[in-house]
Amino acid sequence: MTCRKLHRLIPLAAGDDLSPRQARAMRAHIARCPGCRAELEAFRKDLAAIRAEARAEVVADWSAGEWRALMVRVAAATNAAPGRAEQGAGAATWMRPRWAAAAVAGALLSLVIMAVLFKGPSIPRPAPEGPALAANFDKTQDKVAIHMVSPESGLQVVWILDRNFEWKGDHE
Amino acid sequence: MRMNETEKELIAMVLAGRTEAFEPLVTPYRGPLLALAARLTGNREEALDVVQEALLRAYRSLRSFDPSHPFRNWLFQIAANAARDRGRRISRERAAFPEVIDRAAAPADPEARLDRRETYSGVMSALAVLSPREREVFVLRDLEELDIRETSRALGCSSLSVRVSLSSARKKLRLAIRQDFPHLKEDR
Repeated sequence: MTCRKLHRLIPLAAGDDLSPRQARAMRAHIARCPGCRAELEAFRKDLAAIRAEARAEVVADWSAGEWRALMVRVAAATNAAPGRAEQGAGAATWMRPRWAAAAVAGALLSLVIMAVLFKGPSIPRPAPEGPALAANFDKTQDKVAIHMVSPESGLQVVWILDRNFEWKGDHE
Repeated sequence: MRMNETEKELIAMVLAGRTEAFEPLVTPYRGPLLALAARLTGNREEALDVVQEALLRAYRSLRSFDPSHPFRNWLFQIAANAARDRGRRISRERAAFPEVIDRAAAPADPEARLDRRETYSGVMSALAVLSPREREVFVLRDLEELDIRETSRALGCSSLSVRVSLSSARKKLRLAIRQDFPHLKEDR
């Protein structure tokens, strides 16, 4: 191992995080290289100091009220027991039913699109031979008009009925 | 660190529907969880939200917990994920509504401002030089003392990736503390 390669490994070596093979190579190198040994020791000391400093920085602990309130919120938000709640590991598992639903919805949408795209040309329907009957029916209206036209004679008949289908009226 | 029998019993009780067993199960970790979340988010208020989210997720996915691993590490994993999700959401919101978010982030109460300044002092402040992934790796490995394998499991990445981020984090942090936080070196 060269000094240059060793310098790249010093940050990991300072925390004893090298693989066993790398650690063996490093030990062999620093045994014969005082410069690298000093550099490793300096880094090791700095890392230990940073760790100690960080641990000394205490984050203000929970107040009793904060913790109580959190537990109440957790209890309220988890009405279902874990046995009935999402099973499996973490987010990936609870997403599964949604993915399944999304897949089904996607398949249905694809079928609809395919049906629309590949539908043959529409065939015009022949007009009915018998008398044409048109009913103008609207639930908001009080009256209903039924208009009947005879194709042979041209005779038109109009019935006007109220909402109970009682005849009110008029014909011609 | 393996699970103790009390934890196993409490987990079994929660899974059997006795929800009141959840609080004694997580109470021993309330301080470490808050400290972890505060180091990952950078302030205590956000950390409280992260812990709440983490505990909700822990409750919901308790059945998936593997008892062959430490319960503490599992909670840390969930908290780290919750902190990361929150960070991403805030980044998106900040990009969409920068003024609103900045106003909300600045507490009007002078005491709250003081609290926040205190939280940002020292190493916590120096952590700001790290990328989110470097910060997660450094906090879990160097401050919470998970080993490389546990850290990689907690973050859902390879050991190699953890080593790369850890090396970079230690170098950056050492440099930052030498340059920008000389009082930390003088205090030693």
